[in-house]
Amino acid sequence: MGTYIIRRLLLMIPTIIGITFLIFMLIALSPGGIGAGLRVAGGQMEATSRALQEAYLEDRYGLNDPVVVQYGRWLSRVSPVKFGEREQIAPDGSRQRAPRAIDPPVGWQWITDDLAPAAAEPFAWPDDATEESKDRTYRRQSNAYAQARARSIAAATEFEQALSAYLRAVDLDKFVFGTGKVRPAAIKSHTPNRDLPEWQTAQALGEQALAEYQGAIDERQNKITMLRAKPYREAGVPIIPGTLSVAMPDLGVSFARSRPVSTLIAEALPITLLLNVIAFVLIYLIAVPSGMLAAARSGTAIDVGLGALYVALWSFPIPLAGVLAIGFLASNDYLGAFPVAGLHDSAADTFAFLPTFSESGAFQRGYLLDSLWHVCLPVLCLVYGGFAVLSKQTRAAMLENYNADYVRTAKAKGVAPRDVLFRHVFRNSLLPLITMFVSIFPAMLSGSVVIERIFSVQGMGNLAIEAINLRDRELILATTLIVGAVNLLALLLADILYALADPRISYE
Amino acid sequence: MSATTPNPPESVTGVQLAQGIGHQPAKGFWADAWSQVLKRPAAVASIAWIAIVAVFAILAPFIASGHPLTQTIDGQTTSPLIDNLSSADVLLLIFGIITAAMMLPKRGAPRSKRGAALVLAAIQAGATVILTAAIRSWFERRSAPQFAQDAAAAAAFPYALPIAIASLLAILFLIASRPWQSFAARLAWVAMIAVVAAGVISFKWTEPLERFDYREREAAGMIDATYTLIPFSPGQTSTSLFFEPPGTTLGEGLGERAAGRLPPEDAGKRFILGTDAQGQDVLTQMLHACRLSISIGLVSTSIAVVIGVTIGALMGYFGGWVDLLLYRVVEIFMAIPLLFLLIVAAGVLPRNTYVMMIIIGCVTWTGAARFTRAEFFKLRNQDFVQSARSVGLPLRSILFRHMLPNGVTPVLVDASFAIAAAILIEAILSFLGLGPVNQPSWGRLLSDSTNETGVFKWWLAIFPGAAIFLTVLAYNLIGEALRDAIDPKLKKARV
Repeated sequence: MGTYIIRRLLLMIPTIIGITFLIFMLIALSPGGIGAGLRVAGGQMEATSRALQEAYLEDRYGLNDPVVVQYGRWLSRVSPVKFGEREQIAPDGSRQRAPRAIDPPVGWQWITDDLAPAAAEPFAWPDDATEESKDRTYRRQSNAYAQARARSIAAATEFEQALSAYLRAVDLDKFVFGTGKVRPAAIKSHTPNRDLPEWQTAQALGEQALAEYQGAIDERQNKITMLRAKPYREAGVPIIPGTLSVAMPDLGVSFARSRPVSTLIAEALPITLLLNVIAFVLIYLIAVPSGMLAAARSGTAIDVGLGALYVALWSFPIPLAGVLAIGFLASNDYLGAFPVAGLHDSAADTFAFLPTFSESGAFQRGYLLDSLWHVCLPVLCLVYGGFAVLSKQTRAAMLENYNADYVRTAKAKGVAPRDVLFRHVFRNSLLPLITMFVSIFPAMLSGSVVIERIFSVQGMGNLAIEAINLRDRELILATTLIVGAVNLLALLLADILYALADPRISYE
Repeated sequence: MSATTPNPPESVTGVQLAQGIGHQPAKGFWADAWSQVLKRPAAVASIAWIAIVAVFAILAPFIASGHPLTQTIDGQTTSPLIDNLSSADVLLLIFGIITAAMMLPKRGAPRSKRGAALVLAAIQAGATVILTAAIRSWFERRSAPQFAQDAAAAAAFPYALPIAIASLLAILFLIASRPWQSFAARLAWVAMIAVVAAGVISFKWTEPLERFDYREREAAGMIDATYTLIPFSPGQTSTSLFFEPPGTTLGEGLGERAAGRLPPEDAGKRFILGTDAQGQDVLTQMLHACRLSISIGLVSTSIAVVIGVTIGALMGYFGGWVDLLLYRVVEIFMAIPLLFLLIVAAGVLPRNTYVMMIIIGCVTWTGAARFTRAEFFKLRNQDFVQSARSVGLPLRSILFRHMLPNGVTPVLVDASFAIAAAILIEAILSFLGLGPVNQPSWGRLLSDSTNETGVFKWWLAIFPGAAIFLTVLAYNLIGEALRDAIDPKLKKARV
């Protein structure tokens, strides 16, 4: 069993990679490509802050690289196995790692022959440095680097514009892209004509760009040295110090909410799981007896009626169920007996856990009862579909066993009908019901997207839809990753349960 | 079928039977299953409901339109309704008439063959319309190259483009339909479709008017108009008419002052099922949404079946590493709850009907693949497959002409449930605001019933919701009947 579980867990890795690759490619296919949502965020900014933003995006995501390279980078951030130096965790939860190398401005070879960062000064924290002062100093250095880098990008852009003007002037249009970017291939085959006025402008701008570039790489060097002095605590556990370590996945920072994605998911996932687990228990508790009843009364009016009910419930659209529940049961225009939105009363923080009577005799429902009351309608909407599927399955499994030889033998021996039903048929019909878990669970996760939307429950489904509407790339990838992983683990659990329930099945 | 044998005698002797007298031809597998389905009242009612929805899908522009059926200006009578039909409207109407004419008579070629010809025609005409629209929009966009802009401005463009595309597709379909009928019959059929499609597209080249002011002109006494049964178009929005309850008249909705300027017969027009958040008539939208619902179920399931059967056939026939590799792909699609994948796809890709059909089809093929794989595993070692392989038939022929007809049953039974699922998915995506834009949809109407205003609009929940529910239920009931007719094990269990 142990080896089986390990093998299954290992097989999950390619599947998870496949899912996220699929999602990544889908986002890349969309108009504007993989960086559209990120770049739009800078649309309203001034030129300088936009350059800052661009510098940050470039450093974190490398949006100019091919999509596959970007995916590989995302994967290495998410992977729990990390190569190279360990990351450090800042107090706000973000991961700090050495900044990526900066590309020199295109065409720098025409201005100078030699580009190298100045030798970094050795750095050590003063003896009286506290956590906070280290954090402050490191942040200051990070800011200095970000600004130097932004200046460098702005200057490089200006230089590139001047270069393309020059290249057009010497009839080398083929080296200029439509967007004004210069094709790097131009550099090798061309020696600049230093007499043209366009070149002189370009050279002046180029020298400036190189100076800014030099400043940026120096600041980068300083930042790396400071990071090596470890201002924060390191993430994860080293396996081979300096080259290989294991750490929690870094899911990135949500753009729309400017918070680490992992904290957003840590808030949303328990809510979705809670709803689904409650619904699951209810489904099995109601569906199995109802399916048994239908099978035991096979062919009678009860069976036909229950059969019709199952098909009807199974075809009932979940948005309609949610809308009707909220409209007729929760809205004050009609019954108004249930809360309309959320999972807690707005004053739930002040409640005691259990129901209490205050001294004046007023009833206060308490945190537990309040939660159950809020959960009623969402769970009702989640339950009915799975109930129909599982009941039908129970009925079919029972009927199949009714025709088996061992049941006929039992009947022939004179076993009481009740005992045939419960002790022979029912026990053997239970097994297929465990496998039904496999088909019900993903459907319920899907259904909870709609339910969370209707009842304004801040779970994974709502998070996913919000991420899509805002094109928040990190959040989209992380929610699908987590939902996929949860789903795969649930399927594995179903297989293990199956082996435990049926001694004939062995995974060895 | 039974029409080919003259009335059989009431009783026959063994000798007569041996002579072939009173002999009833054996029913085919599918014909037998179908007659079993027709014995169930629920299944017959379901087929009737789907037929009704299909008829509304075809006739919606004629039943519900804001364009007057006739208008008289200075003694001249024209019909804006007919002028403002789109090419798809006209083609659908023609297709509906031909379908009724071909499928209803009992005599002639077997219905399956007639049906196949119609399906072929539908695909060919649909491809012509979609391809023409796509290429036309490419030619007419602002950033098109100069030659394309010049071509689009030419007077012959509305004729040249549809004719070119229609003839190209006709040739393709002539080749693709090779196993079917004789060459002359195929040529005649394909050519007829191409001519009709190209003709209708050229004839209806200008887009229908989206905005119009018949009411105002009527009030000013400029025209004299008569309307169809439901005098509203699906896109006819009004800022003063949102969320009117069912039965409100136009006059009541607009208020006394504005209504006073209308002719009395216009003020009495009723919103039978109320209006939605944009002030559009709900009944009109529901009728026009039939088209989306019917087509999205059929087309996306067809896409899913084609992808699934192909991949499943390869997995089942080859086994080994092909199976191992392709089954990982199937697992990837099964590992993630479908709706999450669909939300991401529908959220980032363009929002139109065709893209949505492709998305749903490309995400839901795993069921068909798994069924086909299991059947092909069983079939691959049977004698007829071995002999087909030993005489050196090409792989395509072994897989799709010899093995597939013997292994396609579970896929086709599942397809009925898949259509129901696709309609549900469309409704859910539209409900979440990720559906096709500018397209009436039951799911979108449903989402208007509880929105930011916080007041529950029961008519926007009940009517569209019931339409979704009944259509999904109908497909599920047909699927159940079909499965019970085919699955002998369940038949035994029921006794």
